[in-house]
Amino acid sequence: MSQGNVRRLAMFALLAVALLALAACTPVAPAAQTGAAAEPAATEAAAPEGEAAAGDMPTVALVYGVRGDGFYVTMEKGLRAAAEEMGVNVIADGPAQFDATLQRPILDAVVAQNPAAICIAATDRQALIEPMKAAFDRGIHIISVDTFIGDTAGDYTTGDVTFPLSYVGSDNVEGGRIACEAIIESIGGSGKMYIQNVRPGISTTDQREQGCREAIEATGGAVTLVGVDYNEDNAARAAEQTAAVLQREPDLAGIFGTNLFSAEGAAQAVKNAGLTGVVKVANFDAPEAAIEDLRNEVNDIVIAQLPYQMGQKCVEFALAAINGDTASIPKRFPTGYVVITRDNVDTEEAQNAIYSSQ
Amino acid sequence: MSENTRASGQGRSVLDFVGAFWAWIFLLLLVMIFAIANPVFLSPFNLQNILANMAILTIIALGQTFVIISGGIDLSAGWVMGMVSVVAALTINTMPPGAPLWIVLTVALLIGAVAALIAGLVNGLLIARLNVPPFIATLGMFGIARGVAFLLSGGMPIPVRTEGLGRVGNGYLFYFHPTAGWSFLTPPVGLAQADMRQLMGVIPNAVIFMLILLFVAHIVLSRSRFGLHTYAVGGNKEAALRAGIPVSRTLIAVYMTSAMCAAFAGVLYGTRFTNGAANAGEALLLDSIAAVVIGGASLFGGAGSVIGTLIGALIIAVLSNGLVILNINPFWQFIAVGVVIIIAVLIDQARERLIRA
Repeated sequence: MSQGNVRRLAMFALLAVALLALAACTPVAPAAQTGAAAEPAATEAAAPEGEAAAGDMPTVALVYGVRGDGFYVTMEKGLRAAAEEMGVNVIADGPAQFDATLQRPILDAVVAQNPAAICIAATDRQALIEPMKAAFDRGIHIISVDTFIGDTAGDYTTGDVTFPLSYVGSDNVEGGRIACEAIIESIGGSGKMYIQNVRPGISTTDQREQGCREAIEATGGAVTLVGVDYNEDNAARAAEQTAAVLQREPDLAGIFGTNLFSAEGAAQAVKNAGLTGVVKVANFDAPEAAIEDLRNEVNDIVIAQLPYQMGQKCVEFALAAINGDTASIPKRFPTGYVVITRDNVDTEEAQNAIYSSQ
Repeated sequence: MSENTRASGQGRSVLDFVGAFWAWIFLLLLVMIFAIANPVFLSPFNLQNILANMAILTIIALGQTFVIISGGIDLSAGWVMGMVSVVAALTINTMPPGAPLWIVLTVALLIGAVAALIAGLVNGLLIARLNVPPFIATLGMFGIARGVAFLLSGGMPIPVRTEGLGRVGNGYLFYFHPTAGWSFLTPPVGLAQADMRQLMGVIPNAVIFMLILLFVAHIVLSRSRFGLHTYAVGGNKEAALRAGIPVSRTLIAVYMTSAMCAAFAGVLYGTRFTNGAANAGEALLLDSIAAVVIGGASLFGGAGSVIGTLIGALIIAVLSNGLVILNINPFWQFIAVGVVIIIAVLIDQARERLIRA
């Protein structure tokens, strides 16, 4: 078997090298599609790239953080609605898990289709820098939606990462502060609080935690934080951890769940302990399940971001960039929040803010 | 009677051919379907991306190939890889900023390898000397490596900002630019941002790295005494013992090989994603086992090859890229890989029945 396999391995190596060499002989200009390439060779080469069918309409791609999540479904809806209005083609895709190792191949496959702009919710603020920079170097406009990359908290005017056109997303520090101020108000301004978080290193949830801590500190010691636990985006684990904390801190007054699964798990543990209504639970993000929980008094406060508006804004900025008008695009565009409680859940403002999964 | 045998003989040769090459045929079919559906799939840029993106998975699967041929399984490979990526990132961040990149990387690889080899040695000792079933021993190590990785990193991915590191993992062997011409390892200097668009990378560094390891693993498995012993131990442990093969030592070496591959994968992850993340390999473990099985290895041991594993990894990588390019829900990828695994086992069984008949 060894002889044949060596030959086969050598053949594969040769084949790979030949393919790559072939690639070198036919340099395809990715920029041809944006109309920037003047050389006839480049324009010719653009034809087999499959852009012909798209006509003159520019293509904007959305690479979201995880598939099937109401938040990103709503974002895609907003993006598609705006794109249709403005005459823009859309490709949208994302990984099956919120994971950089899985998101990167998807980003690369999207880049291979040479969209004019990519709206991306990066799943890791460091790991996606290189592949996003590579896309930018191919002449694709990059806009961060929902999450940012680099370590300047989404400020693309300073630091190492300045190539993205804009960061369109909620100010999560503010969101965390709003959420925990709402909890603090509902528990009467003093008591013990606990945070259920997803996993360190995700820019958005890290900032929500930070905002919550700021709200707690602002009480000047009236409210104390008993701890933060990480559930890896798993409601069962969140429930487990919260149950343990409820054992340790029998007089816990409020819990901040930094996303749906965190809050659902926490609320489940509160329910199991027979403490529903006694321990107030705030749910960051407003998928339908969170609203259902709110109505059933499982949680008490829901903080809604505005993903639909994020999608709309991203297409708007992408089109401006395609038309060469980058000056009008702000480097940072914070979309706002709606705080939903049982008192306002049926208002139009609250209803429009709910993330729907279809 | 004679007609009968001839007919069955022909049937056998066809089945033999399909059995031996079905994975290649399947891969070719996949490529053709994706290429016809969207020509972008075959663009040099995309093909190179597929190969570069599969490098980490392939390297983990290489280690897994040795383990599975020996009749075991290594469930800890993914988390050992994550642990190494964390160890490597921490090591790189403590090196003086001016140190040459190749020294930084070598030191990171050495220290990462030490961490991984300890895990591999413990796996091997538990399995070979204390007779702990491989599934249990490596499941234990799965948890230990995971915990160590998260403890070392404090739960956070550790960014590495060493100049040029990202280019090692994401760069190309050659660069071609219509006006600036060819350059080796680094893009031509002084290109304006607008000119960058016509820059073409040729042969990703990650692919070179993968090919070298593939070649070494292939030679070791098919030519060395260790490789031969690995097949013998997996084929029939008792017979191997009676034949005087050092079964325990072979098994320990097998699990250390797997850990070493995880170390290579972890360092490659560090250079491609410029960080160290405890959960870097979490999503890759089951795919690595899938690649080996699609490649014709038997979970009962004694069968499998490096080429087979490569084909398995190629099928998984082509599927995940093609489905995105065709804008098909990537959840189908899980189903597709699942079906391919089952087909692989069915075809193997059919062949074995024929050979016995």
